[in-house]
Order: sequence, then structure tokens, then C-alpha cells
Amino acid sequence: MAATTDFVAAQKQNRRNTMVLLAGLTALAALVGYLIGALLEGEASGALPLVSSAGLFAAALMGAVSVGWSAISLAMGDKMVLAMSGAKEIDKAVAPQLYNVVEEISIASGVPMPKVMVLETEALNAFATGNRVGNGTIAVTRGLLDTLSRDELQGVVAHEMAHLANLDTRYMVVVGVTVGLIALVCDMALRTLNWGSVQRRSDSKGSSGGGILVVVLLVVAILAPLAAKAVQMAVSRQREYLADATSVQFTRNPTGLISALGKLAEKAAPFPGVSRATQHLFIVNPVQTFTAKTPALLATHPDIEDRIARLRNLGR
Amino acid sequence: MSFWIVLGILVAVGLWLIALYNGLVGARNQSQTAWSQIDVQLKRRHDLIPNLVQVVKDAMGYEQETLTKIVQARNAAAAASGPAQAGPAEAALSQATRGLFALMENYPQLKANDNVKQLQEELTTTENKISFARQFYNDSVNSYNTRRQTFPAVLAAASLGFGPIELFNMPEAEREVPKVALR
Repeated sequence: MAATTDFVAAQKQNRRNTMVLLAGLTALAALVGYLIGALLEGEASGALPLVSSAGLFAAALMGAVSVGWSAISLAMGDKMVLAMSGAKEIDKAVAPQLYNVVEEISIASGVPMPKVMVLETEALNAFATGNRVGNGTIAVTRGLLDTLSRDELQGVVAHEMAHLANLDTRYMVVVGVTVGLIALVCDMALRTLNWGSVQRRSDSKGSSGGGILVVVLLVVAILAPLAAKAVQMAVSRQREYLADATSVQFTRNPTGLISALGKLAEKAAPFPGVSRATQHLFIVNPVQTFTAKTPALLATHPDIEDRIARLRNLGR
Repeated sequence: MSFWIVLGILVAVGLWLIALYNGLVGARNQSQTAWSQIDVQLKRRHDLIPNLVQVVKDAMGYEQETLTKIVQARNAAAAASGPAQAGPAEAALSQATRGLFALMENYPQLKANDNVKQLQEELTTTENKISFARQFYNDSVNSYNTRRQTFPAVLAAASLGFGPIELFNMPEAEREVPKVALR
């Protein structure tokens, strides 16, 4: 993907990429559902049909369960994330500068004033959560408040406000649920389908369509969760780029966020209360250290150097 | 037959006028709401500046000129009414404030003063809020003005009582290089 030179184009491109990724995930979930349904029908009737009504039913079921699970997660997830992180809500008297900066960006973005929270840790980080516009929370760590200048803090807060404005927080919950569902179902499929039954079936049927279907199911059950995870991480990275671009749209000042990211890269550290479940919410990944180069395919966040390079491009 | 045609045309024109009127009212109200948000922040700034001058007056006895200038700029801005008048006055006040902040760098005892720090933070955030709210206000005004100036609305807008609304621009005044004492 070529680096874009203005934020409006960057937003468009990111939105399109995200739609493609979400469509891919849904198709994958439906495919797994179809294969399992087809196999169960084959088990019952003794012959594996190539077009299976049970398969279509299972594919639809996967979609329905995914929607229902997402709805529950959206209703509950917000409170759970906040409780897990241990962030405390503050008012203006406690941290006037932070509160003022959030108010400024609220005016700039047109997003209603979110709750402001502080995480008592020395690590430098920030996150946003909220399931709809007008019901958001922005939390920053104590270390961040103590280290960053006003302009840098403004860039970070604008990045978090961008996640709220673009509804990334809600969107990532839905993607996470879909990925979890695929992993769960594939796991179940692998357990019910043991090598003995595969052997028996291929013996009795020779090179019939059924044997091929079993092999396809096996391959899909092993590869689908990995592929889904990779897609989820790709979505997460796209959303980070988009939030960086939107942050600049709000502040009209890329230098604040650029120098903030520089400091975050230097001083990011893991801290208590952070788990892999919530790592994608933060402005920089709170679990991985940046000296350890993670495989790009499975990283929640793009490389900070890359983010800074893209922001420099916006400023031009 | 021709009676019905005339009646049809009259009804169509009437419906168009209603739609035009309601659309313009909506756009004008949005602009006015946006302006009142700016106005709140401008008043806040006019209230904060005398406090800051009061606090730094003793320490900055040698900077009478700067202090007088900022008070004058503040009074001129407070007296201005309407976006067109307020724009240049507020721009001058922003500049005077920045000049004062630059000079305050020379006074370590002021930088350590909690009261001063708090006032400085409040003035900075107020100024940022003004500039962010200004973008929204000008966008609203532009969309209102475009709506009433384009054909065919331009034929009826003025007679329905929809005048133009002023933009709120804060032109950078002649930039005066702040005096820096090299010691």
C-alpha cells in the first residue's frame, strides 16, 4: 500500500481496506460452518453430498451466532475492559491539563465529551473504549501525563478520540468475536474428527468426493483460526493508521503526535493489568516490547517507525 | 384546464418556498449555535487575562509596556461585537498574550508559581478551543451563505429576511518580534 499524502484520502483508503477484511472474515466463518454441516450430513446419510442443505444451515447459524455474541460483547465489553485495566475516572481539578486537552479535541472532532480516566502506572500508554458515539472513555497512564508536553498529549488524545469518532472500539469488538467464534468451531471440528474416522472413510469410499471433503475440512480447521487471527491483526493495524491520520485532522498539527510516538517507542513498557485481550485498544502495544521484533503478520500495531514516517508524509 | 395548471404551479412554488425557508432557518440556527460556543470561550478569555496581569504585575515591573498593551488589547476585544469586528481584535489579543508568555520565560519565579501555571494553562486551552470552534463556525456559515446565494434560492432568500452571516477570521496582525534579553 502506497503512503498517502493527505488525511482524507488516508481515511477513505483505510475504510475500504477494513470493509474488504471484514467481508473476508465473514466468508471464512461461513465456509467453516458449511464444511462442518456438510460433513455431519454425510455422517448421517453415509454419502457426502457436494451441495449440502445442512451445510448452508450451519453457515447461516455461524452468522447468527456471530451477530448475537457481538451484541452481548458490545453491551458488556466496555465495563469489563475498564474494570480490568483499573483506570480511575478523574475530574478537572485532578488533572486540569489532560481534562482541558480532551475538551479541546472534543470541540475539534464534534464528538461529545468522553469520560477521562488515569491509569496509575509509570508506563507510557493510552487507550479508548466505548460502544457508541457519546458514550466513550479515554484513559491515559500517569507516566504519559508526566512525560509528554502539552502538544504531544494533544496528539495522543486526538488519536484516541479518532478511535471513538471512527467507532473503531465497537468495530474491533465485532471482529474479535468473529475470530473467537471461528477458533472455537474449528477446535470443535478437529476434536470430533479424529484420524481413525478419516482412515475408515477413505478405505470404504476410495477416492470419492467424501474423502476430499474430509481433507478439506481438516486443512480449513487448522488454517482458518490462523488466517482469521492474521486478518484481525491486519484490521487492527489499519485502524491505527486511520486514527493517526484522523488525529492530525483534528489537531492540524502532526508534529505533536510524531514526537509523542517517538517518546512512546523509547519508553513503552509492559505494565500490570494489561492482558492480550485488550492490547489492541492501546495507542502502542502494551504487551510486546519494541526491541523484540514481532512477526509483522501477527502484530496488533504497525511499526512505530512506519507510523511516524506516514505522519511526516501528511505534514508535507 | 388552465386554472388547474396555474393552481399547480402556485402550489409547487409554495412548497418550494416552505422547503427553502425551513432549510435556511436550520442552517442559520446552526451558525448561531456555533457562534455562541465561540462567544463563551471569548468571554472566558476576557475574564482570565486581567487575573493573569494582576498576578504577574509585581514580578514584571519593568515590562509595563507589554502589560499595558495586553490590557488594551483585551479591552478592545471585549468591546468588539459580532464576528467581523471581533476577529481582528481577538487576533491582536492572541498575539499580545503570546508576547507576554514569551517574556514570562525570563522570570523563573513566575514559572514556578502554581497560580501563574494554572492561568497560563487555562488561557492556552481557551485559545485552542476558540480556534477549533472557529473551524466549525466558519464551515456552518459557509454552508448557510452558499445555500442562500445559489440559484434559485437567491431570488427569494433576501426578501424572506435571510441576510448574509459574517465569517470569523483571525488574521495574523503584523508580527512584532518579541524582545529577547540575552544575558
